[in-house]
Amino acid sequence: MRKVWLIIKREYLTRVKTKAFVISTLIVPLAGIVLVLLIAFLISHRPQHTVRLAIVDDAGGLAPSVKHSLEHSPDSSTPQFIVTDTFDHPNTAEVERDLRSHVNSGALDAYLIVPADLTQAVELHTKNPGNFAVLAPLTAALNQALIGARLSARGIHVDDIDQIARGVDLQVIKVSQSGEAVEKGQTMGIAIGLVILLYSSLLAYGIITMRSVLEEKTTRTMEVLISSVRPFELLTGKILGVAGTAFTQFLIWIVSLGLLASYGAAMATMFNPSSSFPAMHVPLSLLIWVACFFFGGYFLYSAMFAAVGAACSNEQDAGQLQWLAMGPLVFAISFYWLVMIDSTSTLSLVLSEIPFLAPVLMPLRLSIQAPPAWQLALSVVLLFGTIVGVIWASAKVYRVGVLMYGKRPSLPELLRWLRYS
Amino acid sequence: MEAISLEKVTKFYDGVHAVNDVTLRVRRGAILGLLGPNGAGKTSTIRMIMNILVPDAGSIRVFDQPVSDATRQSIGYLPEERGLYPRMQVRAVIVFLAALRGMPEPEANRLAREWLDRFELGDWSEKQVHDLSKGMQQKVQFISAILHKPPLIILDEPFSGLDPLNVATVKDVMLEMRSQGSTVVLSTHRMEQVERLCDSICLIDKGRNILDGDLRAIKQSYGKNTIQIEFNGPDGFLSHPAVSSVNRFANGAEAKLKPGAAAQEFLKAAVQSSAQITRFAVLEPSLNDIFIEKTGHA
Repeated sequence: MRKVWLIIKREYLTRVKTKAFVISTLIVPLAGIVLVLLIAFLISHRPQHTVRLAIVDDAGGLAPSVKHSLEHSPDSSTPQFIVTDTFDHPNTAEVERDLRSHVNSGALDAYLIVPADLTQAVELHTKNPGNFAVLAPLTAALNQALIGARLSARGIHVDDIDQIARGVDLQVIKVSQSGEAVEKGQTMGIAIGLVILLYSSLLAYGIITMRSVLEEKTTRTMEVLISSVRPFELLTGKILGVAGTAFTQFLIWIVSLGLLASYGAAMATMFNPSSSFPAMHVPLSLLIWVACFFFGGYFLYSAMFAAVGAACSNEQDAGQLQWLAMGPLVFAISFYWLVMIDSTSTLSLVLSEIPFLAPVLMPLRLSIQAPPAWQLALSVVLLFGTIVGVIWASAKVYRVGVLMYGKRPSLPELLRWLRYS
Repeated sequence: MEAISLEKVTKFYDGVHAVNDVTLRVRRGAILGLLGPNGAGKTSTIRMIMNILVPDAGSIRVFDQPVSDATRQSIGYLPEERGLYPRMQVRAVIVFLAALRGMPEPEANRLAREWLDRFELGDWSEKQVHDLSKGMQQKVQFISAILHKPPLIILDEPFSGLDPLNVATVKDVMLEMRSQGSTVVLSTHRMEQVERLCDSICLIDKGRNILDGDLRAIKQSYGKNTIQIEFNGPDGFLSHPAVSSVNRFANGAEAKLKPGAAAQEFLKAAVQSSAQITRFAVLEPSLNDIFIEKTGHA
């Protein structure tokens, strides 16, 4: 144990003292400050581009009410419209030619063509078809105008139409053990944030562990070390040493980001009193479970990356072989949306029980809706069982690989190493 | 009691015998030269003694104990593949490695200072390893191999990269350690060093122990069949029928006599030729000759 401790200590101290560590530790909170300031600035100074629109109305009688509802939208978050011209039953070809040249010259942003036969599609002609934000209010305004026209054709008074056609708002309220909370996208925010954080830190620190093993090989320090400590001790010490570095960094980040978040919210409110941040309530049990899966994932992936480092003798070879360790992680991240859409489905259950995917997918499920305790327990047992197996196999590869220089081993060769005594 | 004993040790990688049925005993308090061409199996043998590799057959004992993590604590090891953490301070590296071998850190610190001074590296002890020249790093490596005063020292090519002055210092330290009762195993290609330092040798070729024993006894067993001759003038006499092979130098030659041939006959022929003889000596074969004869290549 003393040797493992010595290795942890050396690994930790030499890493924490590097410029790279100090810079990367400082840069995240600093980037956070810049981001918060930028967001606060953008919220208060959002560029309000008004969409200039012309309406060609072949159906007749619809244009004025479309114009009305577009220009008097009560929702300030959607794009603002100004309807520059309306054309009722025009000479379409000629008018369209004019409008097209206006769009091209920049005098107009878009024009609508409402067909005479309303079973046909309404056309939106624009230079910027990527601006999806305009589609929803345009569709709503057109539908409202059309319904209004049909109702008044059936003798209903125009002033009543607004009241008849008024819909309801749907507010999402999340139900959980800890009570109910109005949902304004914070669940999804936390879920996506978690996935990104887990994926990137598992990857980043896995690669750091791999390079650390490689460094001992390329500087030929390995044989001196391996003559005093067992490969398993060296591997364990290295993983824990890098883990110590990682957790030091996370602690600094979490504390500084926590301070920043409360400060940032206050600042944003100062810039724009009407903006309200949704309350981010993170229960302690969630944090503990997430930490559990994070630690597990960290040991699992670090051991795999360390084995890759031990099997290779230079960075290029390691770069080619690291897919072995990265593969499952990429697999996990490419399925996160399946779990996010329906975190209680059988598919989500199966995926989140697979030990290589659990470190990312189970915290994701946890953040959306707490899974039953037996599912969590099973996943943890499977994960830690796999960790023992993977560390055992990695130590084998390590034992053989650390003294092998030269060509990169193939996958069958790696498997053969597992059988060496 | 032997410091090391190997009993029919075999190791093979993917069907190739790296070490093949090697039996060897290293006497306590002796300096053993482990010789052999490149790829002969010397490093594999050493790694098995260090318990880095496990033999496929046979057994190895160190100080009468089967090799284990415990036995290697008593060994100071300078591997052929050597290196140090480039971004660590010189003394910190030495102390770290000594601590891994079980030495308390304060004592390791004190000894590291002493040794660094002895190797004239005192001013460099706070510098980072990558600031040191290759020769200096070699010395740091050597210090870290012997700092914990091991009763058995295994040195794989300890002289490579050292200038003559440092070769002399390393040699002195080795003799000093022997006089304090330590056993030294020295793997090297430098025959003149082995000849001067070693009490016994073991010659390994193609994984097999082809010759081992007391160095003096081995040389005597070959008899005095080597002639060192220095001369000026034509060298036609070197093709005398008593001579089996000649190694020509600028001002002379080393000639090996056929078995049973008399040195006297050769000297007569040399004197009768028009060459002017300045030196003539009858010697035991050099280790180099024995090496070449035994392995068939240099």
